[in-house]
Amino acid sequence: MRTDLIIVDDYCQKCHIDPDFILLLEEDGLINVQTVDGERCLLESELGELERFTRWYYDLSINIEGISVIRDLLGRMRNMEEEIRHLKRQLRLFGDSNLPL
Amino acid sequence: MAYIDYYKILGVDKNASQDDIKKAFKKLARKYHPDLNPNDPNAKQRFQEINEANEVLGDPEKRKKYDQYGENWKHADEFEAQRQQYSRQGGGFGSSGSYWSSGDFSGMGGDGEFSDFFESLFGTRKGRGRTSGFRGQDYTAELRLSFQEAATTHKQILTVNGKNIRITVPAGVADGQTIKLKGQGGPGVNGGPAGDLYITFSIAEDPVFKRLGDDLYVTSPLDLYTAVLGGEQIIDTMSGKVKLQVKPGTQNGAKVRLKGKGFPVYKQEGQFGDLIVTYSVQIPTNLTPKQKELFQELQKQH
Repeated sequence: MRTDLIIVDDYCQKCHIDPDFILLLEEDGLINVQTVDGERCLLESELGELERFTRWYYDLSINIEGISVIRDLLGRMRNMEEEIRHLKRQLRLFGDSNLPL
Repeated sequence: MAYIDYYKILGVDKNASQDDIKKAFKKLARKYHPDLNPNDPNAKQRFQEINEANEVLGDPEKRKKYDQYGENWKHADEFEAQRQQYSRQGGGFGSSGSYWSSGDFSGMGGDGEFSDFFESLFGTRKGRGRTSGFRGQDYTAELRLSFQEAATTHKQILTVNGKNIRITVPAGVADGQTIKLKGQGGPGVNGGPAGDLYITFSIAEDPVFKRLGDDLYVTSPLDLYTAVLGGEQIIDTMSGKVKLQVKPGTQNGAKVRLKGKGFPVYKQEGQFGDLIVTYSVQIPTNLTPKQKELFQELQKQH
């Protein structure tokens, strides 16, 4: 048996999550669900992301559309932060060593 | 440790309804949730405060106890015992302000823990609402490396939550780079997998070399005469000193690229970036009268 797959129903039961929530995330392309031997399964590598979405949905009352938008914006923010770090390093070459990284 | 005003934290009135409290919490939680404010310790701290305030005010029983003892929280248990005694005797008991105690504020505990104030009043945290337990918690750690350490593949032993983890740090890691060690986080529950450990490298600056990606930059002072007439210049590299030929008529700010003398390329053994040398031509000062005369002679011929 593969250990990197988690059966959706088991996961939902243990984490007190409505299976429809997983379905909504899957429909929006936010997570991947694979069917193995007739069982719908989550990828272990996506559990961290799923947990984040679960917190936003259940704890912060953010709907699926909102989750999708926030995920994209956070991704853009990360890229921009990385670009800022890179630009600051470049600026430091020109002598402004006081710039915080 | 001192009294914490949970109403103030949530920005609600003492007479606020449970619904108002819920709304205020959701609004603030969305603003300060650590997921939405990555790498912001202030937001994390604020969120913990908000979360704790909601744990108390969002639960009618806890709220009642908090309202009842309020600033006299330190003696809540004594009050409780006396109140029961009075109650048995048929007498009443009102809380007075005489037990007010101002101590030092220890702040909110880290990593999702509640404050000492909370624990004094309610004991250890008992979670409410949706309890999710499956995948273990992700841990994050920062590993500080010297410039030289980052340039060399080497082993490090990290202690994360009392557990020693041996890792190999490949040469060429970048400042701010994060690596993931799968399964090295907190243990899973209910048969769930362990969390991951994220290590972010913090690399110290070098006084000589500036690093940009895999390339290194160094400024080399070049005397005017070598710049004008050409000659040799000794340059420091990470692997030792090298001798460079300087062309006659080298301008101030001229750059020379030394291939393969830069920083090791991450996970590409044997590959290195370049070293870019910038010449900084030194103009002579405090000239002797003779030197000044010679420069004036040159000026006339120009």
